Amino acid sequence: MEIFAAQLLNGLSLGSMYVLLVLGFNLMLLVAKIIQFAYPHLVVLSMYVCWGVLRHTDNMLLVVLASVASCIVVNVAIEPIFRLLAKRHGLDINVSFVVSMSMALLITDVMSHLLNYGYPIAFPTEWVGKSIFSSGLIAFSAGQAYALFGGIAAVAAFFYLLYRTRQGRVLRAISENSLLSSIIGIPIIKTRVLSYAIAGLLGGLTAVMFARLLGSASPGLGDFVGMKVVAASILAGLGNLKGGLVCGLLLGIAESMAIGYLAGSWSNAIAFMMMLVIMLIKPEGLFGIEA
Amino acid sequence: MKKSSMLKVEGVSVSYGPVRALENISIEVDRREIVALIGANGAGKTTLLKAILGVQKVQSGKVLFLGDDITNSSTDKVANMGLGLIPEGHLVFSTMTVLENLQLGAYHNPQDFNDNLENVFESFPVLRKRIHQTAGTLSGGEQQMLSIARTLMSKPELVMVDELSLGLAPKVVSEIFDILGDLNNKGYTILLAEQNAKKTLEFANRAYVMETGRVVLQGLTQELMSHPEVRRAYLGSNV
Amino acid sequence: MSPVLYYFLSFTGINILMCWSLYLPYRVGQLHYLTVACMLASAYFSGFAAREWSWPFALIVVVGILIGILICLIPSFAIGDAPCFTVVIIGLTIIFILKTAVENSPALGGTIGFFGIPQVNHLLPLTYLLVVYAGAVIYRIDHSRLGRAASVVFVDKNTAAALGIDVKRLGMFFQVAAGALAGLAGTLYAFLIGGLFPEFFNLGVIGTLMCMLFAGGHTTMWGVIVSVPILEGMQLLLPSAIASWRQVIYALTLIVIVLVLPGGLVTKRMLLRLKGKVSGGISKCNN
Repeated sequence: MEIFAAQLLNGLSLGSMYVLLVLGFNLMLLVAKIIQFAYPHLVVLSMYVCWGVLRHTDNMLLVVLASVASCIVVNVAIEPIFRLLAKRHGLDINVSFVVSMSMALLITDVMSHLLNYGYPIAFPTEWVGKSIFSSGLIAFSAGQAYALFGGIAAVAAFFYLLYRTRQGRVLRAISENSLLSSIIGIPIIKTRVLSYAIAGLLGGLTAVMFARLLGSASPGLGDFVGMKVVAASILAGLGNLKGGLVCGLLLGIAESMAIGYLAGSWSNAIAFMMMLVIMLIKPEGLFGIEA
Repeated sequence: MKKSSMLKVEGVSVSYGPVRALENISIEVDRREIVALIGANGAGKTTLLKAILGVQKVQSGKVLFLGDDITNSSTDKVANMGLGLIPEGHLVFSTMTVLENLQLGAYHNPQDFNDNLENVFESFPVLRKRIHQTAGTLSGGEQQMLSIARTLMSKPELVMVDELSLGLAPKVVSEIFDILGDLNNKGYTILLAEQNAKKTLEFANRAYVMETGRVVLQGLTQELMSHPEVRRAYLGSNV
Repeated sequence: MSPVLYYFLSFTGINILMCWSLYLPYRVGQLHYLTVACMLASAYFSGFAAREWSWPFALIVVVGILIGILICLIPSFAIGDAPCFTVVIIGLTIIFILKTAVENSPALGGTIGFFGIPQVNHLLPLTYLLVVYAGAVIYRIDHSRLGRAASVVFVDKNTAAALGIDVKRLGMFFQVAAGALAGLAGTLYAFLIGGLFPEFFNLGVIGTLMCMLFAGGHTTMWGVIVSVPILEGMQLLLPSAIASWRQVIYALTLIVIVLVLPGGLVTKRMLLRLKGKVSGGISKCNN
């Protein structure tokens, strides 16, 4: 029972990270009509930025700013590539996947060549933080608290932006019908760039929280997280934001449970196996495709 | 009534790949007029409206709106200048509420939102009752009204309507035509593309008759209604 | 034969087979990365059967192909007509699961790798014979009723269904055919290279194959015959300092090709011009 409670807590903090990544991924899918497979890789890149900044200062605000800025800048900088792609191929999400997968490979390879000689990076122990609560097997670290509560706050802010503000309304309008949106005078390209920027903002925040949660990162982390994030979005139904919320959390919990109850090296395979079974049974996702 | 040209299309041609959709089209709409484009399905009416709005690329010719050259300008810019299109098939953002649809319509005109909303509700009282309902749950006629109302929220100089009557019951169509008449009385200029020639000719001041991408006839609607060719092809010969 | 030339010829043959196995399902618009899992499974099976059980080569080839078919056949009942992107992720997931299984099996060498696969005489010429044979089969498929149906499905599934094409069964057929090719490629890989590492079967190898397929041109089977030797040769000819960046080079090449030459180097239109005649409805569907 204690293992269960401990892993549930772990799973919720890990899951809230997945949720943020799924939301950013789906936002670009809905508004810009692309599959940005390299999005989690960009987040890992921002974790490296956090690490670099931390070597010079331990000012939390600076770290967050650097992480967010780098993620936004890179994500917005690749937007013209996808715009050109749409001009060449039409809005074909499969071609956008081919391109973004190449970007993912590129980012991973650059990280493993240039950053820390390709070795995994470790964040300072005080960055992950001491245990702020413990009882028996249950231990709740500061890093987990940041991930969980930061995650909840970021998700709440995201949904507020999308459903309660003027810009959010415009983003939803384009995701539903971009032609009609342009007819009523909504600037499509500007709004698409905005969606990249918002995803970048979410990604930068996620990078900081992920760094505090995991305490380390490696060039291969992007592929790993990327596959899980994308699989969770497919499980939910591509483009389904609320479904993504559920599936992201479920994935985090399932993975933590597998870690808690099974031999280490198999835990990820089990998580993937579960996803695989659901995807094979329901290729359209549990909550329906909305892209 | 002061007469001044609001929209001027000069010799516009449009092709879809190797297929010519519009051939050297010229039309003109003056302030406070109701102008109709009539013609069968595929005559190029929708293409012309899309070309004016910049949705469809124009190969040659010019589009002037309020004296400015808007040929091949970006759609959002043209819409911002005061050109409103009510697209075919009563298109609304069906996952959003009526209010949100109207707020989107006011994207470029958020200043006197509440006044505009009151004006729109005056013309379409049924929308007031449905304000928090999801647009997808409205009836076809209500969706068409919402589509018009959404366009009016931007206070357009010229309202273009594409296939107003398509898929709607005759009673609803009459109701919406009445509302458009009211709007014209309030000062709106209207360009109407319709297959339903009889109703449209009764309603408009002037009309252009289109066939396979060309304007074949034009003139005041009273004159057109007595034109033998129009009577034969569009009104049924024994009208 | 110098080792460099041997590796060049081996990898070129294997990669042409693997590119074809990606090309076939892409005829119906699916990026079927599951074939890399087929390659992994049949490579490890072949290595194990040859070293531990001393099976004859011919039998191993047949069983290797069957393994490829089986791995593609079972999921194809679910994903024969699934959206492209779901197929992608299911492929990646199965690759990952198989890789984890290998890494945790001491009998297969775990993460260290599996070595000591016995050599087969005249394997290189035999490989190219098999490549030519596979090419002939693919040519027949491409120019059959199935190939024409696939061209319609690629453009629009709904139109295809309206024309009476069973989209799902067609997708299943192409997926299974891809599995057979990948199974063959896996077996040849095990014998040609002589050693297997689980780390080889990662996103990188998929990126390499995608680069080869799209650079050569995904609309015909001939493109990869041009692009694979060029891209394989390039990494051997480049100085090693630059060659270690080959992943980056492949990724950049793929991005640039998709943006600048949407159809790749060899397109259907080009072939038709070569033939000097413009024929039939298939080309209209594809171009």
